[in-house]
Amino acid sequence: MNIRCAKPEDLINMQHCNLLCLPENYQMKYYFYHGLSWPQLSYVAEDDDGKIVGYVLAKMEEDPDEVPHGHITSLAVKRSHRRLGLAQKLMNQASLAMTECFNAKYVSLHVRKSNRAALHLYQNTLKFTTNDIEPKYYADGEDAYAMKRDLTTFGNKKNSVEDVGKVLEKMTVEVSGEQEDTAEGASGDGTPSPPSGVAERLLQGMEKQKEGEKKSSQQGKGGKDEGGSGGGVGKGSGEHPPKTGRESKKSRKKAREAAARAEEKS
Amino acid sequence: MPSSSPLPPKENALFKRILKCYEQKQYKNGLKFSKQILSNPKFAEHGETLSMKGLILNCLGKKEEAMELVKRGLRNDLRSHVCWHVFGLIQRAERKYDEAIKAYRNALKWDKENLQILRDLSLLQIQMRDLEGYKDTRYELLHLRPAQRASWIGYAMAFHLLKDYDTALNVLEEFRKTQQVKSYDYEHSEFLLYMNQVMREAGMHEEALNHLIQYQQQICDQVCLQETKADLLLKLGKPDEARQIFEHLLERNPENWAYYEGLEQSTNPQTEAERLAIYTAYMGKYPRAAAPKRLPLKFVTGESFDRMLDEYLRKMFRKGVPPAFTSLRGMYKDPAKVAAIERMALSYRECLDSIGRFSKEDPTDVEREPPTVLLWTLYFLAQHYDHLGNLDKAFEFINRAIEHTPTLIELFIAKGKIYKHARDSKKAVECLDEAQSLDTADRYVNYKCAKYMLRANMVKQGEEMCSKFTREGVPAVENLNEMQCMWFQTECALSYQRQGMYGESLKKCLEVDRHFTEIIEDQFDFHSYCMRKMTLRAYLNLLRLEDVLRNHRFYFKCAKIAIEVYIRLHDKPLADSDAADDIDTANLTPKELKKLRSKQRRAQKKAQQQKEEEERNKAHEKQGKNKHDPDLDGPKEEELVPEKLARIEDPLEQAIYFLKPLQTLAGDVIGTHLMAFEIYYRKDKLLLMLQSIKRARAVDSSNPKLHECIVKFCKKVNERIEQQPEAVRTVLEQEVKLLLGDKDIAQYNKFFTDSNLSSHPHRISGALGMYFLDPSKKDEAISLATHLGNTLTDRTIQNGIRVLELLQSDLKCESMASEYKARCHELFPYATAFQPPTMNHTMENNDDDAEEEDEKTTPTQTMPRPYPTTSPRHQMISSSPATQRGITEV
Repeated sequence: MNIRCAKPEDLINMQHCNLLCLPENYQMKYYFYHGLSWPQLSYVAEDDDGKIVGYVLAKMEEDPDEVPHGHITSLAVKRSHRRLGLAQKLMNQASLAMTECFNAKYVSLHVRKSNRAALHLYQNTLKFTTNDIEPKYYADGEDAYAMKRDLTTFGNKKNSVEDVGKVLEKMTVEVSGEQEDTAEGASGDGTPSPPSGVAERLLQGMEKQKEGEKKSSQQGKGGKDEGGSGGGVGKGSGEHPPKTGRESKKSRKKAREAAARAEEKS
Repeated sequence: MPSSSPLPPKENALFKRILKCYEQKQYKNGLKFSKQILSNPKFAEHGETLSMKGLILNCLGKKEEAMELVKRGLRNDLRSHVCWHVFGLIQRAERKYDEAIKAYRNALKWDKENLQILRDLSLLQIQMRDLEGYKDTRYELLHLRPAQRASWIGYAMAFHLLKDYDTALNVLEEFRKTQQVKSYDYEHSEFLLYMNQVMREAGMHEEALNHLIQYQQQICDQVCLQETKADLLLKLGKPDEARQIFEHLLERNPENWAYYEGLEQSTNPQTEAERLAIYTAYMGKYPRAAAPKRLPLKFVTGESFDRMLDEYLRKMFRKGVPPAFTSLRGMYKDPAKVAAIERMALSYRECLDSIGRFSKEDPTDVEREPPTVLLWTLYFLAQHYDHLGNLDKAFEFINRAIEHTPTLIELFIAKGKIYKHARDSKKAVECLDEAQSLDTADRYVNYKCAKYMLRANMVKQGEEMCSKFTREGVPAVENLNEMQCMWFQTECALSYQRQGMYGESLKKCLEVDRHFTEIIEDQFDFHSYCMRKMTLRAYLNLLRLEDVLRNHRFYFKCAKIAIEVYIRLHDKPLADSDAADDIDTANLTPKELKKLRSKQRRAQKKAQQQKEEEERNKAHEKQGKNKHDPDLDGPKEEELVPEKLARIEDPLEQAIYFLKPLQTLAGDVIGTHLMAFEIYYRKDKLLLMLQSIKRARAVDSSNPKLHECIVKFCKKVNERIEQQPEAVRTVLEQEVKLLLGDKDIAQYNKFFTDSNLSSHPHRISGALGMYFLDPSKKDEAISLATHLGNTLTDRTIQNGIRVLELLQSDLKCESMASEYKARCHELFPYATAFQPPTMNHTMENNDDDAEEEDEKTTPTQTMPRPYPTTSPRHQMISSSPATQRGITEV
């Protein structure tokens, strides 16, 4: 299967693929949000006919207080295309782009505790480590493992491209042939009280991001924020980052509360 | 701020507080202050205050009252920019963007340099693609705020979109000069790459390449940098340098097919061996990469193909890779390769069975292959024969595989698929149900099972199946709609259409259509967001994507269903009261009556559910009241009520609503024009019928359905020509002559039939033309259509069903129908549609579209293409889409 960076026109087909494979689903706008905020990070696997058979939807966590790191929002490979090693190839490309474009030091993700196949992929093949358990992370009450993979060793810009290639090849582990473990695994960000949960976390992210931008404009990056300085009535939507999905409007208050909680924690 | 009625200081202070309250979303306080002003009789009709009150009420969800106030405010103060701005905001919230643009323009008349209004206006202009207007507004913004980054970018982008590349580049370069670049600056990197894209679109390859080289240290996106460089080098005739870059790119990602293509282009291999050598090098270098092993299979021939295939298949079977067959399906266009694949897989099977090795020549001193290798070989063979339409063999191998390992999910999925191709949808469901029961945690199997259920018209069960993976506490259908799950809604629409539940079917189509509207709406917030994020290339691609969004196959499918249903409703409108009223119960056979009753029961159940749903929705609304967000709320969408939809007054106009985007975006698909013809035929629009025929001919002049259209058209022209104005008459006469040559319609139809006697679908179309032109030739027409000789091309189940249906309806010939059915049954023993009545207790599901076969068709192939001669399977099972049950019912 052909593996390449996702383009905006792929996003609708990624949504379709997601709906076929995973219980955690998102509205189109959330895909747009990823594709337009971090266009280099999402990858697709396509077949001869150009159909999307697998994808990774990825983003950066933009918390100015933390080291830059990426996050896998969703990763899926159609069952009809498993055991081709697509998931790990997609993950490696996304991770490489995270380091090159955004200086990511590590990449994180969530995975269902019960998803043994996915867990196997992340732990054994991609060398993720579990650093936390998030209780009741998923809509149905299941816990999630919060996992991380260190990215400081590969994709270092000082490395020549050949080195990157070698590192990638080294990291590409043959999927072992156990009969039982046929799935390559898939993960999707959970929805604590779905579907609004998705929006909540998204909004959290965007709240943070808004703050980040405020900070940077205070630092004198003049005119970065287009809105806000004009007179007259009414605020154009221009000042806001895109709100994603219908869920967000239903749950703005909830989202703000969640964001507040998150801030308290940190 | 010029206003015709300025307030005295005290009230003015209050008014300013209203503005502040609005901005800070303190709506209650805002209302309080507005009351304080308005309660003074002197200012009871103060325009700006009334407008602001309206705006705040709108935010609180009181839309009607809000609109009323805003309009009154505006009437009272037509010279106030505030009133106009508020009016514009309200229109925008209602998504009446054209109206909103007008309002903002009026507002600007009274306050030329109001930044906020200019910004709001520019967003609407880009959303509506009013590019000239956008350019002017961006100019104003740049003029007013030259220090802002977005001012420059927006202005440049306006020129880019207008294809004035020189000006765009000048503006971008001026801006670039002002930038201080940090050592790591993603946004600047994005800016440079955007600028480079403008250069390339302007055809400035040389400059673009130099630009990239000059700034490559500042560019983070290595993939884009290298890909673009390589592409430019190829264009500039520097293949050696391009080759080096492609080699680098492959080191990053040896699975990207485009890079291999780039390598081929830059090295220009002359022979198959040279071409293969490119890939062999990478097989050695990256033994784990799949592409270098898989891609050459497409072009190598003869012995090298055999050798590579042998290696490829052995590896797949040893490793137990389920998509082994799927990954080779692309080869099936080449009969020689099909033969080689079959030969090889069969010989594996034989040797594995007898000696446990792939071949007799395999060394005997190594261990035998594990038993799973045989399993995967059997699985492969089953899929192979299924693909070729040899269903008996396919069943034989899949059954052997299941005997071998009765717990492998893939086997049941494959078996279900064979039943699907054999047109026994109930057995297909049974297999998929078995498959999903083996792993209930896998949504993909769940989806397959649900889809097959919908294909078998088991909508209820399909929904229940889906509900295992949708959010609890919400009906599955609702959740799937919210998540824009279009495959499900399209399959439901198809199923309802088959079952004659037209209102339900339309509801699903309209839901899908609304998703597309919503997705176009989604871009709104990104207009300003991307300017700040500097992801300008992605943004530009988004704009271009949204312009052609309804080109997506999901839209085509749902539009096709909707148009067919609307045409059906035009031809046979439903009675007012009950859907069943127009069916004469007295004339029904007991079986039909039973069917009808169960349908009625279903409808009743449905109504009950709907009621429940409504109640739930009410409860929802109550909960949601406090979470109102005015910025996001579109106009309240009209509820889709199936009963009303099925009794719409102007079904043909509704059909045209779905047709229009197809005409603009899917003109290369013949189905578009055939549907257009059927609509305009019913509207008696001769010239538009002609237009549709001409466009269809440009796509595929030999399409049999098109022939039916031509016959109908020419007959209609003959009937109506006298009533046409002189000019129209001349055109029509000329064009008919062009279509028919020097023949009359009957001769033309005969000529068509005689020249296509070996094609099943053409015979049907010819027969229909014959009967249509002269009903006395019914017998002749029937014998033409019912021929089933072995030499016929496209002798498919689908075409058989079409003939059978015609015999039972238009051509009304029961005796022939049962005889024909029996003959078809011999040819297609599994198809339920042809099974004799005693056996026929399975579900009837005849209208399954072959195009729905999502594993087979590419997006561009979802609709008719010329007769497939390449895939042997098409000759047996899946009809060529051109021959599918379309909308033409003569």
